[in-house]
Amino acid sequence: MGIPVSECLLKLMAEGYTLDDYRGDIPPRWCTGCGDNGILAAVQRLCRDEQLPPERTVFVSGIGCSSRFPHYMNAYGFHGLHGRALPVAEGIKLRRPDLHVFVSTGDGDCCSIGAAHWIHAIRYNMDMTVLLHDNQIYGLTKKQASPTSPRGVKSNTTPRGTYLDPLNPLSVTLGVANVSFVAQAADWIPELLYDIISEAYHHKGFSFVRILQRCPEFMPHQFDPWVQNPDKMLLLTHEKGVQLSAGLSKVYRKQEAHDPGDLHRAREIASLSEQIPVGILYRDSDVPCYEDVRMVDRLHTPDVIKGVLEEEFDKFTIWPSE
Amino acid sequence: MNGNLSKLTSFHVTGIKPALEAEDAGERSFRPALFAGYGDLTKLRYDYPVVLVESAAGSKFAQSLSDIVDGILREIAPQGAAGERLRKHVLKLEEELRGLVSQKNGASLLDLWDAAEKSLLTRTEKAARDLLRDSLGRARNALHVDGEVLDCDEATPTRFITRGWNVVQAAKIHAVKKRIEHLVLKLSDILRADYMKTEEARSAEIFRASVGTAYDEAFDFSAMSGILAKERAGDLLPDSRRQRVQAALTILQAQRFHAPLHDFEQTVVRQPLYDFVFDSCAAALEAFRGRLPEMVEVIKAMSIAELEIQNLYRESRHEPFFERFDEGALGPDDLALFPSYLICLRGERIDPAEAGRIFELLNSDLPAKILVQTDDLLRNLSLSAGQTSSVGGLELGTMALGLNKAFVLQATNASLYKQREQIVNGLRRDGPALFSVFSGAMPRVAGVTPYLLAGAAEESRAFPVFAYDPAASPDWALRFRIDDNPQAEADWPVHRMMYEDRDFQGTSETVAFTFVDFALCDGRHGADRVPVARSDWHDDMIPVVEHLDLAEGHAPDKIPYVLMVDENDRLQRVVVDDKLIRAARRCGAMWHSLQELGGINNSHARQLLDREREVWEQEKGEQLAKLAKRAEPAGVASPAAAAPPPAAPVETTIEVEEAAAEAPSDEPYIETPRCTTCNECTELNSKLFAYDENMQAYIADPDAGPYRQLVEAAESCQVSIIHPGKPRNPNEPNLDELLERAAPFN
Repeated sequence: MGIPVSECLLKLMAEGYTLDDYRGDIPPRWCTGCGDNGILAAVQRLCRDEQLPPERTVFVSGIGCSSRFPHYMNAYGFHGLHGRALPVAEGIKLRRPDLHVFVSTGDGDCCSIGAAHWIHAIRYNMDMTVLLHDNQIYGLTKKQASPTSPRGVKSNTTPRGTYLDPLNPLSVTLGVANVSFVAQAADWIPELLYDIISEAYHHKGFSFVRILQRCPEFMPHQFDPWVQNPDKMLLLTHEKGVQLSAGLSKVYRKQEAHDPGDLHRAREIASLSEQIPVGILYRDSDVPCYEDVRMVDRLHTPDVIKGVLEEEFDKFTIWPSE
Repeated sequence: MNGNLSKLTSFHVTGIKPALEAEDAGERSFRPALFAGYGDLTKLRYDYPVVLVESAAGSKFAQSLSDIVDGILREIAPQGAAGERLRKHVLKLEEELRGLVSQKNGASLLDLWDAAEKSLLTRTEKAARDLLRDSLGRARNALHVDGEVLDCDEATPTRFITRGWNVVQAAKIHAVKKRIEHLVLKLSDILRADYMKTEEARSAEIFRASVGTAYDEAFDFSAMSGILAKERAGDLLPDSRRQRVQAALTILQAQRFHAPLHDFEQTVVRQPLYDFVFDSCAAALEAFRGRLPEMVEVIKAMSIAELEIQNLYRESRHEPFFERFDEGALGPDDLALFPSYLICLRGERIDPAEAGRIFELLNSDLPAKILVQTDDLLRNLSLSAGQTSSVGGLELGTMALGLNKAFVLQATNASLYKQREQIVNGLRRDGPALFSVFSGAMPRVAGVTPYLLAGAAEESRAFPVFAYDPAASPDWALRFRIDDNPQAEADWPVHRMMYEDRDFQGTSETVAFTFVDFALCDGRHGADRVPVARSDWHDDMIPVVEHLDLAEGHAPDKIPYVLMVDENDRLQRVVVDDKLIRAARRCGAMWHSLQELGGINNSHARQLLDREREVWEQEKGEQLAKLAKRAEPAGVASPAAAAPPPAAPVETTIEVEEAAAEAPSDEPYIETPRCTTCNECTELNSKLFAYDENMQAYIADPDAGPYRQLVEAAESCQVSIIHPGKPRNPNEPNLDELLERAAPFN
């Protein structure tokens, strides 16, 4: 049941947003050549193409290069604590399910200090788009190893090289209960980056996109073998996933028709080491969202809020007469 | 022809009652023979009594006592012998309850249940009492519903439909009320946010009041106010916007169509809510028209609120629109936001003016739900030729079909419970709906309960059951249903009747139940029938149903009779006059029309089928003739079916064919869709390289920089998508070297 008059008016009077409407006042302060610039451009394109009202869109981040993201968007933003982007985003979504919630987080923010929140956020499956900017290094603090740094990377904290195999954000996410959307993108294939973020935005649930992001400053040439040799990339296509344009198909010839409903194959693809898979690994639209499960049929009117608060205060009030 | 037979023939034709030699003196009461099996309904399990369940949703608003008891037994009584005692006891209680309902119609289920339990226990011998008490206690614990208990009588249709309407209304309105309260809350938030920017909101008094008395010594509220008042709080709302928001808020809070869900901080005094139940179309229409201006205001306020909340209200564009917004602008979707109007009418009291208004409503978009209850179905039967009658419930139902706009349900008291989903369906629809119900509570019909009579009206096609939902589908096949009638495929339903003959031997006979049987239940038609003594039975007497099958006027010597039972349940042949036969023919014709609409024996379909069959037979005949001609052995071997190609192996990795390499261009260019927005080139020369509307780079002006910059950009581009082409200025220094560096990128 709608409000036809105003809906019709909204349609008639809708004002078109341009990409500039989503650009913040501050020009991005990421290094030249940084993959974050491409992610920002893709997200701004998405906002424009979906005509998301800036006042109904929120970008939440933790700490790191990636987490400067909200500053560069003209929308609501919350630049939070290290590792705590997801709990903040969950709070926003629970209280204001009408907002479009995006989370920008990095490999340090999400997979190290924020790992516990990450695991449970997947399980909660709240409707938000999560972009993991994975440059495999702590860049903002000038090069310390992160959980996704390849084995042997020398950094300030690992002068003799890292000793452990990196954590694979895709296979970790695919292993958690209630996982509903997992994709991988690479910042150097912008067309597909946009398509994948768009699919993630349209998925109702916790859409997790790991974006391989080049850091020209502290991890230069890390992705060069893949950037320079498209045959080392494996593009996942499917009628239920993303489809490639003719131009892209010409450059990236290694493709696999992968059904995003196939969890087992998704896990195999996530574990590939030589090739980098790009596309939608897994999608299940039937997983319930926590905000829907916990939805209360009650408006938070001032009276309701006051009543609940009074009730809580009364539990601690000492009544002189008793 | 013996004397009595000729008298009967004369009666059949003229309707003048003969004095038969063997006839008993005095008027005797007869019932249709098939009624013999139904005496005291309280001993039978059927759809009544019905419980109008409190706080139920959808079609669950009504549940029959039998269904409730079955549910309880399924829950508490194990299958087989173990549950036998429980089943026996609980069914006994159900029977007791049925008896009580007929005395205390309208009482609550729990009250009746307790009363039945008590009376059953007092009547039971002491020894058996404990077990009975245990069974009934367990059943009582498993009883989870309560509500008014309805028996089948004159008041049933109104109470049944009204309860359904209440339930549907409550569910529908809940969503709207929530929407309105959401708007009220958001509008209040806008005003509150604005208020917080005012000096008053930052005054020391307000701060003091917000902290309370316990700690007011601990703060210097004036200082706090002084500091906060200096802070720039942002602009206040323009007056026009504040007034607009306030006006919309006032209208939404004061509207009288929906009761509020919560206790809001009401800033307006609300008048009593509107009533939506009426007993005449005139009153409902008048109320609707009187409320129209207020409805327009509410819709306007809701629309303005929606726009304001989303911050999309533009005075220049929206003001002219809302100034012109009036009753004409309300569409069906807008009307759907308001409660529907329930109008309960009695078919006998509908005068021509009211009938006109019924059609006016049914032909509109107004949410009018009209119940027309008919009690006397045979009223028109007693009119003599030349007399006219006003339109009653029976006619209204079929006439409303022609409007093609309203939902129509025709049913009787006996099938109301079965039709509860259709009833809810009709009540939920946005537009008008007509519920035409025959109650069975016919005046001057003694000894037959309304339930039985209502059922008989359905059986005899006197009041067929049908549902018509024009919104269900564009096809009649899905819009119109008559399958709930007994034996809908047949002209008249037939039943097997078992009885004992004069030699006390069990025998049976197939008996049809026709309109004549139904009409004869009515005492007014005593004059239209003559019971015939067995000695007068004759071969020329044929059952009514056979007489109806004969074309009119084709069997002047045949006398139609029906089988009836007298007060001692003795089977009798009763001869009827031609007036009833004519009425039965009319009723049969009406039923045939309905059958055709419902897709049974449709004449158009039959004609089409005949034509198709003819064409098919002709084609087949021609084919056969051809085959016969070519009877000589042809020896044509049919070509072997091509073997299906072997399934292609599933290859997961696809190698895409390499496309022909494009000829290198002399012009510099960028593969823009592959640009990663890394700023390398634009930092080099932002006039030469620029971003497009997608923030991806292209050559904005190839002459805005030297060839050297194009080459440098190509070298620094990490995804190698910049192609410098050939130099445009042949005099640029170091061209040879630059061309060499550019070669890998062209």
